[in-house]
Amino acid sequence: MASTGPSQSLKRPDSSLTRGDQLIITPLGAGNEVGRSCVYMSYKGKTILFDCGIHPAYSGMAALPYFDEIDPSTIDVLLVTHFHLDHAASLPYFLEKTTFKGRVFMTHATKAIYKLLLSDYVKVSKVSVEDMLYDEQDILRSMDKIEVIDFHQTLEVNGIRFWCYTAGHVLGAAMFMVDIAGVRVLYTGDYSREEDRHLRAAEIPQFCPDICIIESTYGVQLHQPRHVREKRFTDVIHSTISQGGRVLIPAYALGRAQELLLILDEYWSNHPELHNFPIYYASPLAKRCMAVYQTYINSMNERIRNQFANSNPFDFKHISPLKSIENFNDVGPSVVMASPGGLQSGLSRQLFDMWCSDKKNACVLPGYVVGGTLAKTIINEPKEVTLMNGLTAPLNMQVHYISFSAHADFAQTSTFLKELMPPNIILVHGEANEMGRLKQKLITQFADCNTKIISPKNCQSVEMYFNSEKMAKTIGRLAEKTPEVGETVSGLLVKKGFTYQIMAPDDLHVFSQLSTANVTQRITIPYTGAFGVIKHRLKQIYESVESLPDEESEVPAFQVHERVTVKHESEKHISLHWTSDPISDMVSDSIVALVLNISLEIPRVVVESEAIKTEEENGKKAEKVIHALLVSLFGDVKLGGNGNLVISVDGNVAHLDKQSGNVESENEGLKERVRVAFQRIQNAVKPIPASVS
Amino acid sequence: MGTSVQVTPLCGVYNENPLSYLVSIDGFNFLVDCGWNDHFDPSFLQPLARVASTIDAVLLSHPDTLHLGALPYAMKQLGLSAPVYSTEPVYRLGLLTMYDQYLSRKQVSEFDLFTLDDIDSAFQNVTRLTYSQNYHLFGKGEGIVIAPHVAGHLLGGTVWKITKDGEDVIYAVDFNHRKERLLNGTVLESFVRPAVLITDAYNALNNQPSRRQRDQEFLDVILKTLRGDGNVLLPVDTAGRVLELMLILEQYWTQHHLNYPIFFLTYVASSTIDYVKSFLEWMSDSIAKSFEHTRDNAFLLKHVTLLISKSELEKVPDGPKIVLASMASLEAGFSHDIFVEWATDAKNLVLFSERGQFATLARMLQADPPPKAVKVTMSKRVPLVGEELAAYEEEQERIKKEEALKASLSKEEEMKASRGSDNKLGDPMVIDTTTPPASSDVAVPHVGGLRDILIDGFVPPSTSVAPMFPFYENSSEWDDFGEVINPEDYVIKDEDMDQATMQVGDDLNGKLDEGAASLIFDTTPSKVISNELTVQVKCMLVYMDFEGRSDGRSIKSILSHVAPLKLVLVHGSAEATEHLKQHCLKHVCPHVYAPQIGETIDVTSDLCAYKVQLSEKLMSNVLFKKLGDYEVAWVDAEVGKTESGSLSLLPLSTPPPSHDTVFVGDIKMADFKQFLASKGIQVEFSGGALRCGEYVTLRKVGDASQKGGGAIIQQIVMEGPLCDEYYKIREYLYSQYYLL
Repeated sequence: MASTGPSQSLKRPDSSLTRGDQLIITPLGAGNEVGRSCVYMSYKGKTILFDCGIHPAYSGMAALPYFDEIDPSTIDVLLVTHFHLDHAASLPYFLEKTTFKGRVFMTHATKAIYKLLLSDYVKVSKVSVEDMLYDEQDILRSMDKIEVIDFHQTLEVNGIRFWCYTAGHVLGAAMFMVDIAGVRVLYTGDYSREEDRHLRAAEIPQFCPDICIIESTYGVQLHQPRHVREKRFTDVIHSTISQGGRVLIPAYALGRAQELLLILDEYWSNHPELHNFPIYYASPLAKRCMAVYQTYINSMNERIRNQFANSNPFDFKHISPLKSIENFNDVGPSVVMASPGGLQSGLSRQLFDMWCSDKKNACVLPGYVVGGTLAKTIINEPKEVTLMNGLTAPLNMQVHYISFSAHADFAQTSTFLKELMPPNIILVHGEANEMGRLKQKLITQFADCNTKIISPKNCQSVEMYFNSEKMAKTIGRLAEKTPEVGETVSGLLVKKGFTYQIMAPDDLHVFSQLSTANVTQRITIPYTGAFGVIKHRLKQIYESVESLPDEESEVPAFQVHERVTVKHESEKHISLHWTSDPISDMVSDSIVALVLNISLEIPRVVVESEAIKTEEENGKKAEKVIHALLVSLFGDVKLGGNGNLVISVDGNVAHLDKQSGNVESENEGLKERVRVAFQRIQNAVKPIPASVS
Repeated sequence: MGTSVQVTPLCGVYNENPLSYLVSIDGFNFLVDCGWNDHFDPSFLQPLARVASTIDAVLLSHPDTLHLGALPYAMKQLGLSAPVYSTEPVYRLGLLTMYDQYLSRKQVSEFDLFTLDDIDSAFQNVTRLTYSQNYHLFGKGEGIVIAPHVAGHLLGGTVWKITKDGEDVIYAVDFNHRKERLLNGTVLESFVRPAVLITDAYNALNNQPSRRQRDQEFLDVILKTLRGDGNVLLPVDTAGRVLELMLILEQYWTQHHLNYPIFFLTYVASSTIDYVKSFLEWMSDSIAKSFEHTRDNAFLLKHVTLLISKSELEKVPDGPKIVLASMASLEAGFSHDIFVEWATDAKNLVLFSERGQFATLARMLQADPPPKAVKVTMSKRVPLVGEELAAYEEEQERIKKEEALKASLSKEEEMKASRGSDNKLGDPMVIDTTTPPASSDVAVPHVGGLRDILIDGFVPPSTSVAPMFPFYENSSEWDDFGEVINPEDYVIKDEDMDQATMQVGDDLNGKLDEGAASLIFDTTPSKVISNELTVQVKCMLVYMDFEGRSDGRSIKSILSHVAPLKLVLVHGSAEATEHLKQHCLKHVCPHVYAPQIGETIDVTSDLCAYKVQLSEKLMSNVLFKKLGDYEVAWVDAEVGKTESGSLSLLPLSTPPPSHDTVFVGDIKMADFKQFLASKGIQVEFSGGALRCGEYVTLRKVGDASQKGGGAIIQQIVMEGPLCDEYYKIREYLYSQYYLL
């Protein structure tokens, strides 16, 4: 992950010694800008992408987030907060035209509207074919890949646990909480803590996240109270209409438009004198989205649900749909709500061009206006504007900016953060200046709380280190007694997702779906010699060679090293019998090798001659060997008193007790070497004891 | 060391009575389900009454009477005041079900167990959760997490998972693993090895035909009746399985362009469908998908007309039609009235889509062969007029006082009466009559049949499979002159039989329904007039299993897959419970309990557990091996203490002690055969063993059958002479395992 610019890294105070695991957050879009929200996060090998939007001010590839910064195939989960174009519109591209193969989640309502909105976007956006990021078919295909998640529903994918909270903003908008190995990250998306006509306010999560990635659209601005805004809105419209003017409301087709329509419809109902003036909702989606709004009332607030019990509040009485400008009979005062909200193109722009030079008319901008769009330009009320046909025209119409965009303002943001108190705050989705001001203000506010506030630019990675404590649960037989400090615990450590369990092998099948197996092996070897020879030879290698009682195995048999049973099956065959494990396999291999050797040697071997040696003889022989080997290693080896050996090397003297293996010497180095050498020699000359494995 | 878990059934074990169980987890008392049946017999709630005040939380699983019917009564009369948890549809549809129950009852009796206000206030306490939402309890229940999961069966139906300290207690009754039109199958199978599983044995002895076949038969029998100019009555629940039936009919009607009208008649039909429309996210994937693609809400019903009163139905021109009406038990509600009206016509069909509740009219009619005639009580609410009204106002106070006394007296009488009628209807003697079942033949002289029915004396109903509680029907009515008596009851039946049947028709022609419905809401004094009459059952009676529960075989396979450490069986006839218990003891786990009512069983797991911290130093040396979802490693560690005083595991300072090698993994011979074949080794099965190459054989001994708590350790025997191949195959075999 390349990070451009000075990389800002920070460590938690407790991770100053061990660095812990690195968590990387990189905005691929919406870093110090508004639009193309896309935030990349990676921790412990798990990768998540939040949102996948486009920048409304650009077109074609330029509108995409910086996907080339990441490898799409490594992303496990993609979470989309809501259906707005700047949060969801590059999804078809990302799903269909990249190597992405993870899973995508959004809420039910978001998914339903996503399709409507994007199909419309594809139709409306007037770009050349090669600039098209995707077509209708891609959207349809992407629908099959999108999975749904309900609010509060906890899902787990590859050990990543996540769930979502209501975010306000628009229907179906969600804030995602992601939990990877105990580290929680909250991504708010666009949210609003204010309840409006149909939406609930954003919830405050019950858990404090370690990192909060939060929007900063409105920076340090404060919203007017809702009823004041509503009054300004209706007043402007009322006065314009009554003076014979036309009102244009450029708004995104879905989302905030529904709120405005609710306001207008209610206002018209209360003002019979306005009934002669038509309100048009010029969106091809108007009718189609109705079903969606009717269905997902459970995502809305109590007020609208109670209303719904009587009649459908989205069944507007005073608002008529308008399909296109051709069907529009522009004869007198009217109110038209048209998309897109930024006046980039489409119907809202066509109407704007028609109406902008008449000073009786008004244009009400009801939402956040994205930098780079015409709407942003006219807020500053320039003298002239450029029309779509390239001509310039005087801007005489009144422009009002009354925000209903349901983004949190500073008051909401700061109370939200105060409730949560996340140790790390990352600001995204805000213009650089606004974001800077918000950052400063938050820094002063959280000065005494050790809170880190970061506002990375696009593609600028934020690295953090978390030393997540790994807890394991010891269960079953292994846990019959809680051990004291200093005791040892041995068992299987089983990891699933990020949960650990320690258990005895026998319990494995009880507590997991895994099972254990025993592999018993039986191998037959042709052998025509005397059975006793094998046993004798083996005794020289292994200390434990025990004859098995005849009644158990009918044929002569013995067990080597307490593991492998050798049986004299017939005159021509012997068989080996053992339960597989690395040591037994090795023992059996050595037996096989030995038997094969004997078979080769047989003509030359005289069994009797080597047969019985007394213990004493063996001992003497061993001592000779030891002595000879020590001489070859150290040179000067003499017999001392009490059966000790005196070894002198370069003036240093060591005394070796042959019985116990104790070495005494003033030189530590020599002492250690002699001790090790003696131990190894002893191991070599004596048969392998059964206890060593 | 483990979490203490106790289960006490309060109702609904060893029989098919409503469900209600007390599950206490470390002293925190959950009441899971709070059911009642269509008789609303308070004696069922005796055990609940004793513990109601100690309950800390109520979990509801399904939106029908059997699972939540007693909630308003328990809240009002029994001192239950705990918070209630359910999914949104269970809350909403449960509320509507209770409304419907109340309105149906009120229409025909002086129903006073609870009022609409009681229902509202009971449901006010409900906290609504979504599927797989982990809800952390606080206060007394600190540390307990509850989560609803998809159960199938009914919309919003829930399998509850209660977790404390990593131990799961799962309550799963009436689940359905099959995916249907309306709902996805249950996710019960995804829970593996919970500490305790509480499930029902209701369907343990039932097996179902395939869905396709069943649907076809269902539609065939309906269409046959309609084409024969008959009416079809489907007694249904208020807001449960009826939704699935409606989808089936809608779909079929659309596909085949049928015009026969379909009516959905309950007191709350239109609100039910309105709310159901907004529960799309709780339904099956295919419904959600079709909405996303075409924005066609599956419940924008094109062929089903919603009705909320019977007079609306009467306005419909004559002709074949389908009516889905509540209650499924035929004990009350529109289905009761319509049944009485239609039963006498052999062209008509009454199609039961679920087993009737025990000792209800529906259950009697489902007996094989069905009874030839049944005795029913027709009741009607009429406003008081003239003198009666005056008298009413005068004596209202007095009546109130006396009512209590009278009611107790009348109950005794009623009890006798109802028992008597039950006996007659379930009387096996009816079977002896040489007449074939009414459904197949109409031309039977009914007088003869009736005589047999009237044989008196106590004979247990043939349908009874368990001891039953005495059944009181609250149908005895009082007016100013005392108990309303039906003179016909005192006339020798042989003679007036025909009259009685005729009178049914007369009565139902009355146009009082609409007024009666409105009466419920206003306070106009009114009274209920009821009369008993005998209905000739000539119409066709069919029962088809649309209950949407997993059948016996599937239950068994799901249980052995879930393989709980301890299993508690509830709800189901004694036979079924015993059968499932024996099966599970053999194949699922050694700890199977089937407690009696009021019997507290302790299912605290004997599992020992303690928590340790894994130190970073230790973990950096652990090499995990990946096996499916799991990663395993062998650890040898020394116990230490962290700063906070909890145990932690540190690396050993001394060389680790040796341990027996563990082979982790599970090989299937068939898979291994393919694997070897892919490696170019000739393999074939012969005599239960796998012959690899020329000489080597592999055998599995003590096949890993499910026994006593999951798979036992696999034993694999490998035999062969000393040769290269032997070692090669051994290497391949080892590659299938992880050696630790």
